[in-house]
Amino acid sequence: MRALRQRAATDERVAGWIFVIPVLVGIGTFLIVPIGMALWISFTDWNGLSPPEQAEFVGLDNYRELVTAEGDPRRDFAMAVRNNLYYVLGVVPAQTAIAFILAVIVNQKFLRGKGFFRTAYYFPSITSSIAISLVFLFLFQRSGAINQLISGLLPGAEFRMNWLDNADGVLHNAVGLVGVDTPPAILTDTSVLGLSLWQWLSGPSVTLFAIMILATWTTTGTMMLIFLAGLQNIPPDVEEASRVDGASALQRFRLVTIPMMKQPLFFVLTIGLIGTWQVFDQIFVISAGGPQKTTLTPAYLIYREGFQNFSMGRATAVAFLLFALIIVFTLVQRRILKPERA
Amino acid sequence: MRTRPRRLAQLLVLLTGTALAVAACGSDFADSDSGGGADDDDQNDAGQTDGAAQAEDDESSGDDGSSLTLMGFSSGPAEDEALNAIIDAYNEQSTNTARFNPVPEYDTALQAALAGGSPPDVIYVDSNRLPDLVEAGALAPADGRVRNEDDFYPSLREAFTYDGTFWCPPKDFSTLALVYNVDMFDDAGLEPPTDWEELATAAEALTDGDRTGLALVPEYPRWGSFMFQAGGAVTDDEVTEMTIDSDANREAFEFLRDLYAQGYAATPTELDAGWAGEAFGQGRAAMTIEGNWIVGALNNDFPDVNWAVTELPAGPAGPGTFAFTVCYAVPAASENPDAAWNLVDYLVSDEALLQFTEQFPVMPGRESLAGAWTEAHPDLGAFLTGAEYARPFQFVPGFAGVVDTLDDGIQGIAAGNREIDEVIQQVDESGRAALGG
Amino acid sequence: MTAQLQRRQTPPGGRVAERGQSSGYRVAKRVLGYTVLIFFAAMFIAPFALALANSLKSRPEALASPLSLFPAEPTGRAYREMAGTDLPRWTMNSVVVTVMVTLGRLFLDSLAGYALARLRFPGRALIFALVVAVLAVPPIVLAIPRYLVLGQLGMLDTYAGLILPLAVDAFGIFLMKTFFESIPREMEEAARIDGATIFQTYWRIILPLAAPGLLALTILSFQASWNEFLHPLIAAPSDPDLRTLPVGLALLRGAQGESQDFPLLLGASVLITIPVAIIFFTFQRYFIQGVTASAVKG
Repeated sequence: MRALRQRAATDERVAGWIFVIPVLVGIGTFLIVPIGMALWISFTDWNGLSPPEQAEFVGLDNYRELVTAEGDPRRDFAMAVRNNLYYVLGVVPAQTAIAFILAVIVNQKFLRGKGFFRTAYYFPSITSSIAISLVFLFLFQRSGAINQLISGLLPGAEFRMNWLDNADGVLHNAVGLVGVDTPPAILTDTSVLGLSLWQWLSGPSVTLFAIMILATWTTTGTMMLIFLAGLQNIPPDVEEASRVDGASALQRFRLVTIPMMKQPLFFVLTIGLIGTWQVFDQIFVISAGGPQKTTLTPAYLIYREGFQNFSMGRATAVAFLLFALIIVFTLVQRRILKPERA
Repeated sequence: MRTRPRRLAQLLVLLTGTALAVAACGSDFADSDSGGGADDDDQNDAGQTDGAAQAEDDESSGDDGSSLTLMGFSSGPAEDEALNAIIDAYNEQSTNTARFNPVPEYDTALQAALAGGSPPDVIYVDSNRLPDLVEAGALAPADGRVRNEDDFYPSLREAFTYDGTFWCPPKDFSTLALVYNVDMFDDAGLEPPTDWEELATAAEALTDGDRTGLALVPEYPRWGSFMFQAGGAVTDDEVTEMTIDSDANREAFEFLRDLYAQGYAATPTELDAGWAGEAFGQGRAAMTIEGNWIVGALNNDFPDVNWAVTELPAGPAGPGTFAFTVCYAVPAASENPDAAWNLVDYLVSDEALLQFTEQFPVMPGRESLAGAWTEAHPDLGAFLTGAEYARPFQFVPGFAGVVDTLDDGIQGIAAGNREIDEVIQQVDESGRAALGG
Repeated sequence: MTAQLQRRQTPPGGRVAERGQSSGYRVAKRVLGYTVLIFFAAMFIAPFALALANSLKSRPEALASPLSLFPAEPTGRAYREMAGTDLPRWTMNSVVVTVMVTLGRLFLDSLAGYALARLRFPGRALIFALVVAVLAVPPIVLAIPRYLVLGQLGMLDTYAGLILPLAVDAFGIFLMKTFFESIPREMEEAARIDGATIFQTYWRIILPLAAPGLLALTILSFQASWNEFLHPLIAAPSDPDLRTLPVGLALLRGAQGESQDFPLLLGASVLITIPVAIIFFTFQRYFIQGVTASAVKG
C-alpha cells in the first residue's frame, strides 16, 4: 500500500509538471517576459520607438516624477487616480447592489421567465466594448435619445445636458444648486499631490458620470449571474429550516441569505475592483481623457504617455503604480470582508 | 443528461487537440493563408539581396520588382480612393507593387511597428511627431532621394527638417481658414470678416436662437492661430524658450474667452455636433475655422449649404494660421530602402501630386503646382493664400505633455472655469520643465 | 429539527412560504417583482433595440429622432455600404482567431487547472501565485513588450501571432482550478485505485464532470477574443488581410472622418454582437452552472 502511494506521488509530480508546462511556456513567453521587460522599461527613459536596448537607465526617476516631484506628470497621475477613485466608488457599489437585487428577485420561485430576464441582463456584458461605446456615443449626444427621453419625462422643460464634453463635477453642480458657487478658500488653497482639495472633492465630471453609467450597465449582468449562482447554491433544507422556525421573509433574508452570499459577494467585489481600476476601452472611444482631464484614468494615462507622448518609461511606471494600487485595494477589501473558510 | 455533457466535454478537448496539432504544424497554415507575413519577409529578404547587388550598378533606381507597403491613416473613402488611384498609376509604370494599408489608431500601430524593428516600407509622419521619430533614430533621411527638393514650400521643407537634415517630402498640406455660410451673411447684410473686430461683430450679429456665430473647438491647433495673429506663440521659433507668458497670448485668450462667454462662439458639442464642420453644415453655426478636409465633408454630407472660404481674420499683429502636414517617410530599419524611395519619389512627383490633389482638395507641397491647383479649385484659394504665413504644429521631443496641459487650460478658459493667468502660469511651468530650463 | 426537516420535504414549486399569506399580498409582491424585472430588462435591452432601429434609418432621421424604434423610411443603406468594405474578410479572421483561441484555452487551462487543483508537485503553490499576480497587471502595459516578443519570434503579421498570445490566459486557469476543486475528490480516487493513469482519470472522470466549467470557459473566452481590440491591432500592424472585426469597426469609424455615420456604426455594432449572442443563448444553461461553481468557491 505504501509503495503504491509512493508511486502515485511520483506520478503526480511528473504529471503535474507535464500538465502545467505548456501553460508555463505560454505564460512565460507572453506574460512574464513582457511584464519583466515592462518593469525594466519603467527604470529607463525608453521612448518606445528606438530599439529598447538603447534606452538609458534612469533608476527611480520615472516613479519620482509621478509621486514626489512637482510638475505635470505628478498632477496628471494624481488627477487620474482621483478620477478613477470616483469611478470605483461609483461603479462598484452600484453594479454590486443592482446585481444583488436583481438576482434576489429573479431567484424568487413564484416568478416565471427567469431565462429571459437572465439573458436580458447578461446581454450587455457580452458585447464588444468598442461597439457598445459607439452605441453610447450615439445615445448620449446632446440631441440624442437620453436627453430626448429625459425631456419627455420632464414635461415643459427641454433637457439638453451636454454629457460627453462636460468637465463640471457633479458634486460641484450639486452644491451649486443650493447656492454655493465659490468654494471655501481652505479647499482651493490646500493642495495634495499638486491638486487642490477642491479639485479632489468636486466629484466625477458629468462626462465621467456618463461613462460610469455605461460601465455599470455593461457589468451588472455578469455580477448578477454570479449572485444568482450563489443563491441557487443555498441548500434548500437550510432555507426550509428557517421557514419552519417561523422566521419572516426579512429575517430569513438577513439571517440565511446574506451570510450564505458572503463568498459570491467577495468574488464580485474583487473582480469589480480589478476591472474598474483598469478601465480603458470606454475612455479610449468616448472621451480620450477629456474634457480637461476629468476622464483621465491611470490606464488611459499609460496609453497617452506611452503611445502619444513617447514616454514609455513613464507609462510603465504608471502601470506598476496602478498594479500596487490594485493590490492594496484588494487587500483592504479582503480585510474588511474576509469570507469564512469553508 | 449524464452522457451528453460527457461527450460534449470530450469532443471539445478532442477538437482542441486537433486544433493544436494544426497550429503546431501550423505556421504553414498561418503563413499560406495570411498572404502577407512570412512570405513577404522572404520576398523582402530576396529583394534586399537583389537590391544590394543592383545598388552597385544602379543605386537610385529601386525599381526591382519589390512589393511595398505604405502604412498610413485615412480621413475617409474619398482620400483612400484618390490615393489608391496614384498608387495604381505607380504600379503600372514600375515593376514594384505598392499597396496602401490604412490603419485605425495609426500612432499606436506605427510605434509598435517601429519598436519591433520590422516596419513597413513607407509610413506617414505628421510634422508634429517628426522630432520624436528623428530623435529615436527611426527614420532614414531623404537627402537627395527625392527629385526637385527645392520646389517644396520653404515652410514645409522646414517642418520636415530637423537637426539640419531633410527627412521626408510632404504628402500634401492643409491650412486653417474661415468657412462661412454665404446665405446667412447675405441675410444679415454682412461681408466676411477680415480682422478680429469684424469677426466679433459678425459672430454677434449672426448668433440667433439656436444658431451661434462661430463654431470653434477649444484646443491649441485652433486657438494657436489666434495667438499668432496677436503676435504671440507658445515658445520661440527654435523651441528653446517658453514665450507663453506674454501680453499677446493674453490678448488672444481674452478675445476668445469673451466670444464663448457671450455665446457668440460655441464648441461643437454645445451645438449637438461631433465636430465643427458638422455644426456648420447643420446650420447651427454661421462660421467655423477648419482646414481643407472640411471641403469633402460639406460636399458629401451637406450639399445644400451655400458656403465659401476666406482667410482667417487678421489680429493686432497681422495674419496667422496653422499648416498641418504629413510626409512620406522611409523608416531607418527599412529592408528595401531603394524601392521605398522609388515609390516616395513617384508619390511626390508633379503628376502624382496633381492627380491626387485634384481629386482630393488638399494642397500639393510643391510651389510650382500652386497655379494648377488654384485652377482646379478656384473657390478654395484662401487655403493656399494662408500658406504664405502659416506655421507648422511642431515642437520638440518631450513637449507633448505641455501641449496636453495647454489644451486642458484652453478648454477651461472656453468653459469659463479657469483663469487665463493661472493657465498661462501652469503652461509656463510645465514648458520650462520640459525644455529643461 | 433534522427529523422535522426530513418529514417535511419541500413540496414541488416550494409554496410553503406563501401559505398563510393573503392573496392580496401575494399579488402585490408579484406585481412589484415583475415591475422591477421588466424595468431593468427594458433598460438593458433598449440600447440594442435603438442601435438596430437607428441602423435602418437615414442619417438625418437618426439624428433628428433617435428615440423612435420604427424608422419612418427604413433603408438598408448602412448595411449595403458595409458590404462594400472588407467586412467578410474581417469576419473570417475573427472566426479563425476566436475558434483557435477558445480551443487552445480549453485545452491548456483545463490541464493546468487540474494540475493546480489536484496534483501534488513541487512548485505548485508558486505557479498558482504567479497566475494570480499576472491577473492584476493592466493589459495595456503589456502591449509593446509583447509586440517585441512577437517580433523576436517572427510572429508579427501571422495568424500564430494573433492567436497564441491570447490562448494563454491566467483567468481561465484560475477559473478551471476553482472549478475542479469543487468536484468531490472521492470519484477520482476510486478511479486511481482501479489503476487508471493520471491522464486517464483527467480524461475520463474529471473532464466530463467539468463540462459546465468548460462551457463557461468557452463562452468567456469566445466573448473575450471575439471582442479583443488592442492585441490584433498591434500584432498585425502591416497586413490589412489580417484585420479582425473590432479593428475593422474602429477603422470604419475613422474612415468616416469626423462626421460620424451613426447608422453605419450602429449597424456594424449590431452585426458584431450577433455571433456572441448566439453562442451565449446556446450555452447559457451550462454557463450558469459553471459560474455557480467558481463563484461559490471564490
